[in-house]
Amino acid sequence: MASALFSNLKYSDSLTLVGISVSTAIVCEAISWLLIYRTASYKSLKSTIDKASKKLETMKTTGSNNPPSNILKSKTKKIDRVETSLKESSRDLSLFKFKSGAVVAVVLFMVFGLLNSLFEGMAVAKIPFVPIRLVQKMSHRGLHGNDMTDCSMTFLYLLCSISIRTNLQKFLGFSPPRGAAGAGLFPMPDPKSN
Amino acid sequence: MRERKSVKFNLQKQEHQNGHLSPFKVAKLFDPDASWDKDQLGDVLHWIRQSLALVCGLLWGAIPLVGGIWFILFLLLSSGIIYAYYALVLKIDEEDFGGHGALLQEGLFASISLFLLTWILVYSLGHF
Repeated sequence: MASALFSNLKYSDSLTLVGISVSTAIVCEAISWLLIYRTASYKSLKSTIDKASKKLETMKTTGSNNPPSNILKSKTKKIDRVETSLKESSRDLSLFKFKSGAVVAVVLFMVFGLLNSLFEGMAVAKIPFVPIRLVQKMSHRGLHGNDMTDCSMTFLYLLCSISIRTNLQKFLGFSPPRGAAGAGLFPMPDPKSN
Repeated sequence: MRERKSVKFNLQKQEHQNGHLSPFKVAKLFDPDASWDKDQLGDVLHWIRQSLALVCGLLWGAIPLVGGIWFILFLLLSSGIIYAYYALVLKIDEEDFGGHGALLQEGLFASISLFLLTWILVYSLGHF
């Protein structure tokens, strides 16, 4: 009965895509854990970044409003030293994860290739609005016709990747530390584990 | 008031450093006198955003609501709820946590993706 219901849905392929995305996210995080997160180097760098960023916050928020100039100069120098140390640790963390992330990148590349072969030229879902022109390049990629509300595999897979992987990393505690450089306005799934 | 929250913020940090973390209680989510660690508050705001994205996506897709205006409405609604939560319910001093920008952007991108994914899936599967 379930399979009959499933096959009656016009866009049932979207569920297949979501299922593959979820499985891929779990596999990628498992690989990342094996190669990155459980290593002593990663734990040590993460701890250093956390401590440095908390220390920096404390130094920036405490202190009197009008300190004497020599104390202000000394405090500024200390803040600069901690910031430099934080940047160096963040860079080391990025480099460390980049080297180990190549394996995950290969897995993602293979999965994307598989999905492309399965769903090329097919609209896997319907978008409930007309996306802006920039987004249309991805949402209508490889599709025929002029209906811009047709959703390509690429766009849906991108949405799946970002939402599922970011939340999975967050849930498992694998998100990059908040103090790390590059955790900007829109934190993506940790790119170095891609 | 600001000094009290800053002192509590520092005491909470010391607690973490000593390794004596108190269990997270649901009551703390609605307690304006509770003290918050930056990471803890960030995580709470992140998950609230994801929950809002899921609920709105399911609702918008089920009705269905069609048109780009509903996407804008979701952004305004979710940001408004997050702001109301930390400013009015928790009465947080945003300067202790990096300002309004830092608090409002917690989990924003992931929530937009999750909202779009849910909205598109429910709309596609439920109405075609």
